[in-house]
Amino acid sequence: MSDIPFNSDVERTKSSPRGVRVWDLPVRIFHWGLVLAVTITLVTGFLAPEWRLDIHVWAGYAIALLVTFRLLWGLYGSRHARFASFVYSPKKTIEHIKGVLRGKSAHYSGHNPAGAVMVFALLVVLATLTVSGIIILGGQENLGPAAGFIPFSTGVETVSIHRLVAYGLLFLIAAHVIGMLVESHISRENLARAMITGRKQDAASQPIIMPNATINSRALVIVVIVGLTGGGAYAIMSATPASGIVKFSPDDTYASECGDCHYAYNPSLLPRNSWQGIMAGLDDHFGEDASLDSETANSILAYLNKYSSEAWDSEAANNLRIVSVKNPLSITATAYWRRRHGEIDKKVFEQSNIGSKGNCVACHRDADSGRFDDAAIFIPAPPVPPKT
Amino acid sequence: MKSLTSTICTVLLIVFTSPGFAGPQQDAVVNYYKELAKREFSASRGEAFFRAKQTGGKPATPSCTTCHTSSPMNTGKTRVNKPIAPMALSKTPDRFSDLKKVEKWFGRNCRSVLGRECTALEKGDFLTFMISQ
Repeated sequence: MSDIPFNSDVERTKSSPRGVRVWDLPVRIFHWGLVLAVTITLVTGFLAPEWRLDIHVWAGYAIALLVTFRLLWGLYGSRHARFASFVYSPKKTIEHIKGVLRGKSAHYSGHNPAGAVMVFALLVVLATLTVSGIIILGGQENLGPAAGFIPFSTGVETVSIHRLVAYGLLFLIAAHVIGMLVESHISRENLARAMITGRKQDAASQPIIMPNATINSRALVIVVIVGLTGGGAYAIMSATPASGIVKFSPDDTYASECGDCHYAYNPSLLPRNSWQGIMAGLDDHFGEDASLDSETANSILAYLNKYSSEAWDSEAANNLRIVSVKNPLSITATAYWRRRHGEIDKKVFEQSNIGSKGNCVACHRDADSGRFDDAAIFIPAPPVPPKT
Repeated sequence: MKSLTSTICTVLLIVFTSPGFAGPQQDAVVNYYKELAKREFSASRGEAFFRAKQTGGKPATPSCTTCHTSSPMNTGKTRVNKPIAPMALSKTPDRFSDLKKVEKWFGRNCRSVLGRECTALEKGDFLTFMISQ
């Protein structure tokens, strides 16, 4: 239907000094929206500390929606947006690249064969990154739509794939920009500007035939479908509770007996062996006499045994169960704890509103639940000393 | 009958919520030690015991005041700097109401500070001082 010539449109665009319309508005919004979202994910992924993961993830969801939209727009969009219009044979693609290397390029109204390969490669790479990202988020962080389905170990194993493909993305972006510059130079057509204005100056370009009203209404329908489907899938999947987090009711005896002196740690922060060691040595509890009558001690131990790290598949439980060989009863002696808190100045722990390294909840607002989400970390500012 | 019930309730409410006055629960705890010590307790002896520097216990905890500060009115600190509610009954009205808890803390802290169990007299003097505060 969209291939029926629309004569008046052809005449008007051909005679226009502004050039020939080749990229429809949805394609251009998609392109620059993708540039923005990908930039955010790359900056937050490679440079920002992990607790900015929330921004990385939201930009990632945006990429997922944009890529899904583009896949549909490749079927229902205007002529040069359609995949069918830029599927070239390998032979033709190689010929094109050889030509470019010799400084010659045939004219293409839409994507040239090299650009077409780039479009497909980018879509595949971005789809891989969003899927692997959701797997990592669900497995390692127990967050997002896959939190209820992906084990921690799968999340961790997927990190290397995500990272490798991200480096691939950096390579593709570099190749894309260089290719665009080279082709622009050879064809004397500013391809970057064409992606902004939607128009190519070369009068031989074949204009978009589909009327704007059709383009816009179709894009709108697709956006609504993608948004509703994506949002619905997110909501349905997120309804399954995170597989690695145990729902439990805190034990009152544990909270009062242990919490009198220090923060009553979530039991997932140590393995069963360590809890047993701690409860067997309360008369010398890290140098303190913390002895309890056996009835109370047994009831606390039963609680700790039940909800120790073995019962969890969270990030904290999985990492902290690898206890220090020298000091197997201490959470803060584990290699993981030390590594994750290594950049924090000793003075911060001594702040009166924190107190000690063991006061998890002073900074991890979700420490009671055992989640320890990166987004829940808020290191309090040092309290202002009273004026003297 | 109704007014009698409400009078009893009012009296109990005053007794249990008034700061600085030992309620029946604190009395019961003190009486437990009194029967063991077979002597009258003294708040001033208790204060001297609270402030005394000891040598028999752990070097990090030479005195009650190490953690509880020099005034029973102040909030103390555990070794990991968690606040300890003031020892003075007027500041922490539910203190010394549970013999089991009182025994637990005397047990731990006497061993830490003095390196031995406290006597019933020491405990009673200490409580009498804190209840008077």
